[in-house]
Amino acid sequence: MKSSPLAETANRNVGSKVDAEGGHAAFSRLTSLWTLYVLTLRQHLHGKRWMVMAGLFVLSAGLVVLVRATAVNVAPRQLEFIIAFMFIPQAILPLLALVYASGIVRDEQEEQTMTYLLIRPIPKWALYLVKLLATLTTTVVLVAALTVLIYVAIYAGAESGQNDVTMRCLKAIGIHSLAVVTYCCLFGLISLLTNRALIVGILYAALFEGLLANMPFSIRLATVIYYTRLIAYRSLDFITTMNARGMAIANDIAAEAWQLDVKADPGLTEHPQIRACITVLLTASLVFSAIAAFLFAYREFYVKTPEKT
Amino acid sequence: MTPIVEFHEVSKWYGNVIGINKLSLRIPAGVTGLLGPNGAGKSTLLQLATGQLYASQGRVRVLGQPVWNNSSLNRLIGLCPEQDAFYEWMTGWDFIHTSARLAGMGRRAAREATERTLDAVGMTPHKGRAIRGYSKGMRQRTKLAQALVHDPKVLFLDEPLTGTDPLARHDLMTIIQRLGNEGKSVLVSSHVLHEVQTLTPNIILLNHGRLVAEGHIRQIRDLIDKHPHHIVLICDECRKLAGRILAWDDVEGVRVRADQKGIMVETRAPDAFYSRLPSICLEDGMAIQEVYSNDDSLESVFKYLVSK
Repeated sequence: MKSSPLAETANRNVGSKVDAEGGHAAFSRLTSLWTLYVLTLRQHLHGKRWMVMAGLFVLSAGLVVLVRATAVNVAPRQLEFIIAFMFIPQAILPLLALVYASGIVRDEQEEQTMTYLLIRPIPKWALYLVKLLATLTTTVVLVAALTVLIYVAIYAGAESGQNDVTMRCLKAIGIHSLAVVTYCCLFGLISLLTNRALIVGILYAALFEGLLANMPFSIRLATVIYYTRLIAYRSLDFITTMNARGMAIANDIAAEAWQLDVKADPGLTEHPQIRACITVLLTASLVFSAIAAFLFAYREFYVKTPEKT
Repeated sequence: MTPIVEFHEVSKWYGNVIGINKLSLRIPAGVTGLLGPNGAGKSTLLQLATGQLYASQGRVRVLGQPVWNNSSLNRLIGLCPEQDAFYEWMTGWDFIHTSARLAGMGRRAAREATERTLDAVGMTPHKGRAIRGYSKGMRQRTKLAQALVHDPKVLFLDEPLTGTDPLARHDLMTIIQRLGNEGKSVLVSSHVLHEVQTLTPNIILLNHGRLVAEGHIRQIRDLIDKHPHHIVLICDECRKLAGRILAWDDVEGVRVRADQKGIMVETRAPDAFYSRLPSICLEDGMAIQEVYSNDDSLESVFKYLVSK
């Protein structure tokens, strides 16, 4: 009897040999996870988010060019501080993380494609973590691109050592990446706790990271931005010189803006060192991710059927 | 024999709304039809069986294994979901290939399986087109293909024929029948009885989250005798005929039709009724022009049972 194509599939597929435990011997969980990772990256590429974010990046770079063209007295380092270490960490990074991380689960639910993932041989906790990993990849790549763009806009044609600028740019990429990773892990968790993740995320970014982090109280130790600022302050110098009454006066713009009392405590001994800051941020990211993966594993995802919509 | 799917005292609530109510089922190997009107709990049952939902109460097993958070089991099952959702930007080939890879198949095996599965569901000529441009029939075939590509033992098909044109419907039914012939266990849900009747004689009837009936279609048909059976008699002297028939013990009620050209008799003993009917014509000389019963179709059996 001639067998059908389906029967042939069953007979000839390498992966169709069922082992004693009822599993398929040639199936690999690693393949499943890798495919999910690639699928999520492709989803990011096909979405409109990256275009919106790219638009924001270009606008930021445009702002730099505008400032350079109109305010000739502003030193590149000053501009770097304002844009790369005030504006981007305060506004762009939380927004970027929020936009991507809140969609890790919500997008699949809204598009009703979650079913196609849930019925695969991938543990649910791993499903979440792989999608988060892909989201981190996308956001870190975007952040790196944005940072390079901003540094080019700030330092192109300026009188600064190329090596020094490159090093500062690399350090900024590292700091921004660390921040966006922590934000993504946090907002991913928030998106599993509330359906209004975007609103909660914006409120969090504005009130917690925006307002509280700028106050010289210990509550700022609970913010992401505090640690990234410390890393930046300890690894880069933001001293600018001002000419006043014919005298060159050094001005530590970062300490002033970030409420770091360097006059009383020049070594910032009361504040964490770089390693401690990195450890705090990475540990927080891991904890957020672990909680989110646990929640995801035990969460039910109702599928909208036509009759229910 | 170990059942392929087993529900034991399973209930599922969505807040205050009940989706499945103390359902106990043992579905054997082969093709089984899951019938019920919209909102009967068919999709909930399938989502419970595929581990997407957690039973509020009771136990769900597929191939003897618990389903909730048992990702290994997913290698052995395939689901064609009801919702018309895809990664629209993918081509048909890409979607099926990605499904195969998500199932854990190696590159070569996934490519081969994709080609064969697309061929099996008749989508090879359209495999290079983006899914967003597919017709409803093509989309249903593609959904079926993603459920089949990893060669599962058990298939759950949630309303696979919904919205398809007659040709696609015929093709899909042929494919499902073939899957059954190839030894796959298939649980196919539908709210259209004749679709399922064509696919399999083994059916499960659900309504309001409860099991109404299960078994072979003949057994289901036998249940009809336990419920009032409606027989329509067309004649000119309908009131006289109604009075005569009402005297029979096994007749539970008679209603004269609005057009006064016939009566509807309700009885729990249709066979006895039919055998006694000719005597009216012979003894009383009443001319009965037509006798029929809507209860002959599975549709009416279903209506009887779900309206209990």
